[in-house]
Amino acid sequence: MNKYRMILVVLLAAVLALLPMLLRRDDLINLAFMVLLYICLGQSWNMLSGFAGQTNLGHSAFFGIGALVTRWLWATLELPVMLAMILGGLAAAAFAMVIGVPTFRLRGAYFAIGMLALGEMMHAVIAQVLPFNDTLPVQLIAGYSLAMRYYVALILTIIILGFSTWLLRKPISLGLFAVREDEDAARASGVNPLYHKLFALALSSFFGGVTGGLYAYHQVSYYPQSVFGGNWTLDALLITYIGGLGTVIGPVVGSLFFVALRELFSSIFASFNLVVFGALFIVIVLAFPGGLVELLRKFQRGR
Amino acid sequence: MLEVKNLGVAYGDVRAVWDISFHVNVGEIVVLIGPNGAGKTSTLRSIAGLQPIVAGQVDYLNKPIHQPKLFTHAHELVSQGIVLVHEGRRLFGSMSVSENLELGAFSPQARKVKNRTLTQVFEMFPRLAERKDQRANTMSGGEQQMLAIGRAMMGLPKLLILDEPSLGLAPLVVKLIFDVIRELNQQGMTILLVEQNAKRALALASRAYVIEQGRIAGTGTGAALLNDPNVQHSYLGGVL
Repeated sequence: MNKYRMILVVLLAAVLALLPMLLRRDDLINLAFMVLLYICLGQSWNMLSGFAGQTNLGHSAFFGIGALVTRWLWATLELPVMLAMILGGLAAAAFAMVIGVPTFRLRGAYFAIGMLALGEMMHAVIAQVLPFNDTLPVQLIAGYSLAMRYYVALILTIIILGFSTWLLRKPISLGLFAVREDEDAARASGVNPLYHKLFALALSSFFGGVTGGLYAYHQVSYYPQSVFGGNWTLDALLITYIGGLGTVIGPVVGSLFFVALRELFSSIFASFNLVVFGALFIVIVLAFPGGLVELLRKFQRGR
Repeated sequence: MLEVKNLGVAYGDVRAVWDISFHVNVGEIVVLIGPNGAGKTSTLRSIAGLQPIVAGQVDYLNKPIHQPKLFTHAHELVSQGIVLVHEGRRLFGSMSVSENLELGAFSPQARKVKNRTLTQVFEMFPRLAERKDQRANTMSGGEQQMLAIGRAMMGLPKLLILDEPSLGLAPLVVKLIFDVIRELNQQGMTILLVEQNAKRALALASRAYVIEQGRIAGTGTGAALLNDPNVQHSYLGGVL
């Protein structure tokens, strides 16, 4: 079984590494990039909202800050893109720490609404302050390679998934789960809820910001306000819930499903995918709170 | 060990506890009885560091832990040895028995001796050992209460506070839970207990206090209160 699994992993790694050569079509490579981007987005949201149970409806703020900072450091100051992405993530995390202490005075739905307000506020402010389209400098456009974007996305995805797996084996993740289940009971067991929530928020905002940086690295031109759009929060939420909230594999399954379905429906008529996702989200939350991952496990056991 | 002086607790403008004073000596079982809404649970939650106080003072091991302007949170008190077993158990429902127990030993000192404490918990509750991989919320009420007490034991309490541990349990399980409380006390744990099952609790108590409308309405040894006609009338279902 273990040998079989090893071969599978090696094979998967080889396919992923050679994918741009195998696909050879820019539109398909771009789809693969999108799947990876959404895995990172979903998993970064999952760290706070899934592991620690604090539903965050303002994740777009972290994504947006990471995107703007990365874009500026990389395209304007000409720092190496990986370094720029890390600094973008740190900027998002720094912002998160400043707003985390006051917003965590709110619990449950109030926290979610507070974060939503914050995300929308950032969106409105950026739309006013940076209203113009941001296009890459000519020399960067000339050297643009989609395959490079794909590889950076692949590396980030491996880091985020690897880190999450590692995190779930550490005692601190038990503390996160305890806060998710019952804050008072967690406190009475010696878990400091605020510390654990801030820890999860720091990770979530950092990786959310880095993912925003990845997107900024990918786009030839964009409106700065677009990276602060509520769609980044909503997509992260849908992907994670549909795949499986609070699991590492959930956002992977969710993202594959999300991108495939979006692609399928966009050729039929625009934005219809949102109707499908909305309906699916309701069905999954009501019938399979564990998402597609739980559904697959049930099938496996049923056999 | 624990000294509560003129405690006052309020939720916004609603006062739940007006003026409660009592003490718990090392090695005792002290019981608080009283009708619903008297302020028993609020008192326990405040002592355990889950509800700030508005008046009075609480000392633990001769040091103040709570005053209106000084409040020690529960997660800090756990490592000092005050552990609360919540009313209604409050387990981490979707987590396994083992994970719940591991969380009980979350403080650094407790984590160091986790395996040894776990053996003791499993000796006391063999049922939990059998079910260690089961999800907590799929167990019976009695098993869940065992787990709640086991989880508290994992935190190495010096003062164990139990809020209505027999609530909603079958008589046989109630007997088991009270036997466990007695045994923990004989092993040297000091116990502060709130109970609806006043008869059993008073039989176990070194001393007891009657709380009514947020104030202390009476006190005495467990045996003395058991024979007190007023207490018999109000809490023990009339003449025994």
